[in-house]
Amino acid sequence: MNHKILEAKNISKSFGKIQALDDVNFHLYKGKIHGLLGENGAGKSSLMNILSGIYQPEKGSIIFDGDKQKKINPESAARLGIGMVHQEFRLIENFSIKDNLTLSKANIYIDDFEDAFKKYSEIFSLTVNQNTLISELSVGEKQKIEIIKLIFNNNNIMLLDEPTAVLTPQETNQLKNSLETLSNEDEKTIVFITHKLKEIKEFTETIFVMKNGQMVAEDLETASVSDKDLITLMMGEINTAVVEKNNEKGEVKLEVENISLETDAGGFNNLNDINLSIKAGEILGIAGVSGNGQVELANIVSGIQSNFDGKITIKGQDVTEKGVRARKKLNLSYIPENRLGVGLAPGVSILDNSVVREYFSASYGPHLSKNKMVNYLNLLVKEFSIKTGEPKAEISTLSGGNMQKLLMGRELISNPEVIVAAQPTRGLDVSAVETLHELIVDQRNKGSAIMLISEDLDELFKLSDRIIVLYEGKIIKEFEINEANTNNVGLAMAGVIE
Amino acid sequence: MNKYILSKKTVVNDLATFYSFLIGLFIAFFIGSLILLIQDQNPANVFSLMLKLSVGSINSLSSSLNKAIPLILAGLGISIMNSVKLWNIGAEGQIFLGAIAVNLIYININISNSSLFIVILLASGFIGGAVCILFPAITKVIFGVNEIITTLLTNYIIIGLTIYLVNGPWKDPKSLNFPAAAYVGEEVYLPTIFGKLSSGFLVCILFVIGAYYLKEKSVFGYEMRIAGGSAMTAIYAGINAKQKAFYAMLIGGGFAGLAGAIELLSQTHRVSTGISQGFGYTAIIVAAITGMRPVGIFLVGCLFGALTIGGAVIQTIGVSSYIAEIIQASTLIGALIAQFFFTYEIKGVQDG
Repeated sequence: MNHKILEAKNISKSFGKIQALDDVNFHLYKGKIHGLLGENGAGKSSLMNILSGIYQPEKGSIIFDGDKQKKINPESAARLGIGMVHQEFRLIENFSIKDNLTLSKANIYIDDFEDAFKKYSEIFSLTVNQNTLISELSVGEKQKIEIIKLIFNNNNIMLLDEPTAVLTPQETNQLKNSLETLSNEDEKTIVFITHKLKEIKEFTETIFVMKNGQMVAEDLETASVSDKDLITLMMGEINTAVVEKNNEKGEVKLEVENISLETDAGGFNNLNDINLSIKAGEILGIAGVSGNGQVELANIVSGIQSNFDGKITIKGQDVTEKGVRARKKLNLSYIPENRLGVGLAPGVSILDNSVVREYFSASYGPHLSKNKMVNYLNLLVKEFSIKTGEPKAEISTLSGGNMQKLLMGRELISNPEVIVAAQPTRGLDVSAVETLHELIVDQRNKGSAIMLISEDLDELFKLSDRIIVLYEGKIIKEFEINEANTNNVGLAMAGVIE
Repeated sequence: MNKYILSKKTVVNDLATFYSFLIGLFIAFFIGSLILLIQDQNPANVFSLMLKLSVGSINSLSSSLNKAIPLILAGLGISIMNSVKLWNIGAEGQIFLGAIAVNLIYININISNSSLFIVILLASGFIGGAVCILFPAITKVIFGVNEIITTLLTNYIIIGLTIYLVNGPWKDPKSLNFPAAAYVGEEVYLPTIFGKLSSGFLVCILFVIGAYYLKEKSVFGYEMRIAGGSAMTAIYAGINAKQKAFYAMLIGGGFAGLAGAIELLSQTHRVSTGISQGFGYTAIIVAAITGMRPVGIFLVGCLFGALTIGGAVIQTIGVSSYIAEIIQASTLIGALIAQFFFTYEIKGVQDG
């Protein structure tokens, strides 16, 4: 039974300066369900893309059924029967189910399509007609078609990249049963990728854990490994650098009461009865795996998202019905997660982008003073040591770090009393991260109430006075910083309450 | 394995658009020369004749500038809409509806002060152009319907309306079965400045300055740029992106409508299907060549006006006037290709 069907040895891959995979080993047993666990950006998808031939590794080798493969490209992967379901579906929306399933020349059910479709419809509890257009299906149904497509194309090794991310709990349960059937009856070898602890324990037989592009644990038997061990492996050790926390707190500046939000998108991107308050001089860290309501919370507090239930109070004033501008006037600043696209407008000049927060103060009636704008930009450049080119050059000519410094500088220079900062240092190099952390602490010392949303536990532990963990749109747990550790915060992020 | 990718240059020369235009113009005259050679014409002779007959005398120069007015005004309208990254393909229809609006007001209202009357008629033209784009603007803002399609299709509706009016309710019995409305009275003709140059040219210059100010120096222009760059950034900044798009469309339509009004009051003096000879489409070329810059639109508009006049007069020596249109179109293609190479560079990268 423990026959190694596919082996990847010493795989390395980098994208530009980023080392996505660093000497990674991985292997699959025929007919088993394997779990691949790791945070966002740990390298899970990169590894899968290499196994399915989409990326070429810089180093390392791939061995299929004992034979070393010269090179895996999409054609040879298909020949070997390695197929992948990507997070973004690759179905043709205005083709029927049948057309999508039989599109590939690798398709093995040409004459007996009806029977095969019937069989797998039953396994996947799929109740739609084969002539239905893909565009008419729900997300869960599309997911099923993607997996059935792998079967129809004779893929015996099925790589499923976060298949449950788009599913409801009921659908997730169904998927579990379907995958078990495929593994038991058809001897399909399955890789199940996720960052959800609960699912990896339910779905899989053996677990691999990745962290920062490295494989930190191989072949752990699912039945005998504890949640705690997995969390520690997945999160790694916390960098102990911590800033001075005994900052004096003032009155409550931001109060969020009973915030609920329902989105029609389904999943967990909604909020459920959120209550929190932040005092002057305090940093409240919001932890959570991405997609658990952080963006929605930030958008509601900053005024971008309307139509929610509950109440937002800034400096004692009810701003629930107020828009972005009114909240800015109360001296709220928002550093959005998506810096180029939300915080900064792509294709627009550095100068224009530098005054997004305060452009009306550079105006006389309908006239916009270019001098004032340039002075403002120069002030930002000086205060925050931003390396910038010509003011009229496009914003995207700046490096990531300088873009973020410009954005943060723009939002902080007026000494805001309430700050919402989402993923302020994501994707930046160490020195930029350090500078930006100093800015945030500086601002805290000046008496700002700061909501810091981050997926980086190092950052949260270093800066926060308290940590709240969001899970499926709810505050699942709240910690004072001295009670928080990788274990309890990590478990809460995975939805486990001790 | 190496492969090559296109990557956007971090620094683009300020004069790139201008150089691109010159390269485009060179390519255009080269293509024009080839076609003339095929027709056994001497390109040098033809082009020098075109030059002489389009700018060689006060009369020809003023004719050329008159032709430039609708190109410039409609081009400015296209450029304003492009600030929010929207395309106005409907300038042609807006020119017609501008002229129709002028005639509608003219036959229903009578004001004895002719200067005031002219101003009111010009304003009616502007409003007519804005009304013409109202439906595309509403469907864009509310339903997100592609404005390229709606503004283009509106052209056909408006030209249909024009044909109906000049064959039906507005048909002038004195026009001897030529489908046209009655002439407007001489009291509302736009006065000429010198030669044949209409005072509409001064209005045009005024609107060039206005468009430049609106786009580059005003708060509204700034808000349009941010909304055009990213709708999400606009929302984040508290800018109502849809409202900016809506106003930009109405103003853009208005500029083209004004072109129709000036054309009616200075050139044709009556509504007919000849109000515009494709000015609304040529204006797209003018605006695109200049990278949507108002001053550039003014200069290239004047050049294209001269080309049109030059193209018309060379027919007398047996050369088709289409040579002018070929030159205009090739200038655009050449300039866009040149612009591309000013903005992008080809880089070799490692595979993957």
